[in-house]
Amino acid sequence: MATVISRSKTPLWAWVVITLAAIFFILPMLAMARFAFQRVPVALLGRNTLFDRWTLDGLVDMFRDPDFRPALWLSLRISVLTVALTLLVMLPTALWVNVQAPRLRSMVETATLLPYVVPPIALVVGAGGAFRNLAPWFLRSDYCLVPFYAVLAMPFTFRSLDTGLRSIDLKTLIEASRSLGAPMPTTLLRIVVPNITSALSGTIFLTITVVLGEFTIASLLLKPTLPLYMSYSQGRNPQGALGLAVLLLALTTLLFFAATRLRRRGAERYTIRIGAMP
Amino acid sequence: MSAMREAVTGTYLDSFLYTIKLSALSALLGAICGALLTAAVMRVERPAWARQVVSSFAGVAANLGGIPLAFAFLATLGTQGLVTKALSWFGMDLVGAGFTISNFAGITVVYLYFQIPLMFLVTLPAFEGLRPTWREAAANLGASPTRYWRHVGLPILAPSLLGGFLLLFANAFSAYATAYALSSGGARLIPVQIRFFLQGNTITGKDNLGYAMAAWMIIIMVAVMGAYLLFRRRSEQWQP
Repeated sequence: MATVISRSKTPLWAWVVITLAAIFFILPMLAMARFAFQRVPVALLGRNTLFDRWTLDGLVDMFRDPDFRPALWLSLRISVLTVALTLLVMLPTALWVNVQAPRLRSMVETATLLPYVVPPIALVVGAGGAFRNLAPWFLRSDYCLVPFYAVLAMPFTFRSLDTGLRSIDLKTLIEASRSLGAPMPTTLLRIVVPNITSALSGTIFLTITVVLGEFTIASLLLKPTLPLYMSYSQGRNPQGALGLAVLLLALTTLLFFAATRLRRRGAERYTIRIGAMP
Repeated sequence: MSAMREAVTGTYLDSFLYTIKLSALSALLGAICGALLTAAVMRVERPAWARQVVSSFAGVAANLGGIPLAFAFLATLGTQGLVTKALSWFGMDLVGAGFTISNFAGITVVYLYFQIPLMFLVTLPAFEGLRPTWREAAANLGASPTRYWRHVGLPILAPSLLGGFLLLFANAFSAYATAYALSSGGARLIPVQIRFFLQGNTITGKDNLGYAMAAWMIIIMVAVMGAYLLFRRRSEQWQP
């Protein structure tokens, strides 16, 4: 009989580390939410005032602000356009890599990591310098953010689509569809897309998180998006600004969870190997 | 080319060194805390969903940044922050001890919020690649846990730990929005300086300096990320 070596149970130090980490990560969120929704100065906060004067007034004031709505709409329009551009460019790329040129996958994947190598600030400086002489009208338009954001989202979007496509038997599906006489666009829309809906929604969600969180490029190109509005309104209505930050965080967290959920369903063995871009 | 040279002399050199020091420190602390957290989470077997929850939250926190993160820490460790006040009740004066949320130490602490989870995400596959049989084999041969870590665990993890450090460095080096929001644009960090030159186009001849700084940034990033990819390739050989 083989001896079974019993796994030791979780040691104390591990719980200590995890507890400290939990405090470090949860406390700032609680502090922000308290500041946003409670009208009690920190100095007066105590056992007696803990439940006093919780209010949504700051946030309501912000929604009434005439500058808020245009910023929200701009961010939403840019989200939609960025999603469209991303799908238009990345879906064919991912398909091409999966069907025609699997050997080029690692090359394409490395190329999509460009935003990790070129910081957003350098990206906007370079592109700004180039376009200022070539096509000055481009930078004047609010929609010039769309290609930048599509590039920033590339590491997430390509991986998500690629994982989705790898998890299905793409070649067989396409060959079957073609041999039944379907032209390529029909194959794409009626065979491939319905098979990777979870990867597609994941891609869309991740793109929206990028658009709703991006500040650097919008601020350098002076485009009044939602994050920019949030930063500027901190002076006028700090409670509203922090309330908006809480809302945006909650929304992006939800989108992110939904995206990873969907991706996990699409491909079991997927792990995120490369991380973030604050 | 003179702009390229000017961008790394005098006060600009100081800014570069300041940014590099800040990135290195936050990467070092982030790497150590992140690796510790990964090791701790790996030891949790029950409840089974615990690791999944931590992974998901790490995914969110690693991608967090920008304005909301700055707001959260202003509400926590700013002069009117919750923790600042709580500590002052216990007689600890953070500001008096030289800590402000917008100085070197403050920005480092804030950056840890996304550095630690990023390290967790990067090293988790490597930790999962450590086979329990190796630990058991070492134990059967009479090795203490310390000896196991020194001669088996750490050498195998080393490439992914070093790679993680480099990735964290690059991550902090290119961060902009958080630092900008924390210190209202007054920081000496290179990305914030570039903004100054780009928008201060009225100073003639100086906007080249912004381009030069951006170019230097990219050069540093290419070097760091290149090294990171090498380490990553090396670390993947042990992973299932």
